Amino acid sequence: MPPLSPAHKRRHALSASSVQAASPIFRIARQEGRIRLSAIYLDQLATQRTQWLNLRQSLIAGNVSNANTPGFAAKDLPPFSTVLAQTQVAMTATDPMHIAPTPADYAPPQAADEDGANSTLSGNSVNMEGEMMKLGEIGRDASTVNAIKKIYHQMMLSALK
Amino acid sequence: MIDPLKASLEIAGAGLDAQSTRLRIISQNIANSQSTASVAGGDPYARQTVSFDSVLDRSTGVDLVRVKSIGVDESPFKLELDPGNPAADASGYVKMPNIDVLIELADMREANRTYEANLQVAKQSADMMNQTVSLLKDA
Repeated sequence: MPPLSPAHKRRHALSASSVQAASPIFRIARQEGRIRLSAIYLDQLATQRTQWLNLRQSLIAGNVSNANTPGFAAKDLPPFSTVLAQTQVAMTATDPMHIAPTPADYAPPQAADEDGANSTLSGNSVNMEGEMMKLGEIGRDASTVNAIKKIYHQMMLSALK
Repeated sequence: MIDPLKASLEIAGAGLDAQSTRLRIISQNIANSQSTASVAGGDPYARQTVSFDSVLDRSTGVDLVRVKSIGVDESPFKLELDPGNPAADASGYVKMPNIDVLIELADMREANRTYEANLQVAKQSADMMNQTVSLLKDA
């Protein structure tokens, strides 16, 4: 295997440190003369949060639609802090074959009620009220993240103008 | 797996479908709560039941709900003394369907509630998609 070119090394070093470097959050990494927007931590954080919320939404959808299915175990995602704690270093995809990790890889879905304490006689552990609460929570969080993204986007545009 | 939001729309759609089938069976039961046999001493309309199942949809990679089976309630029929009824047997008793309208109404409420919940999920998924699209607007 040929050794990595200096450009390659630099690229990897940059992307790894840019995610890690939460200290100067607004440091814009320059790469090949262009400004990489993804190097700003906040943008990536918001995207990850959105991915996590979307995934959770689909799990809740599954729970709600299977609310009357015998033997169905309700599923949920681990808290977002778990995802955050495990995504310290992300490598830049320099090849189309590279697979970018999603929050689902760090925090896979799990049974929401592992000891089955809340399951009914039919073995179904979906708590409809709880699911609706989670749904409201997801909606609220999604609006918040979107609002942040919007403001961030406007900041970018005003910097460009 | 496809986009989770699209998947949730699919899942909620499957839920709506399953619950509407359930509602169809309930209305069938209520409508036939007095349906006796056409021949003397014959069996009347038997209550139908719906059972759900969670299945993996291969095109989307998510668990959808579907109607597993539409079964027949095996509980015994009620006997009513009505010698004038064409369905009455030799001793004048008529077999009436094993349907309790109150139970059917309670089941209908539950189907309704679950249908609404699925609808809420679908609404919110669409709403979240729209929010993302609206990031592109007035930029």
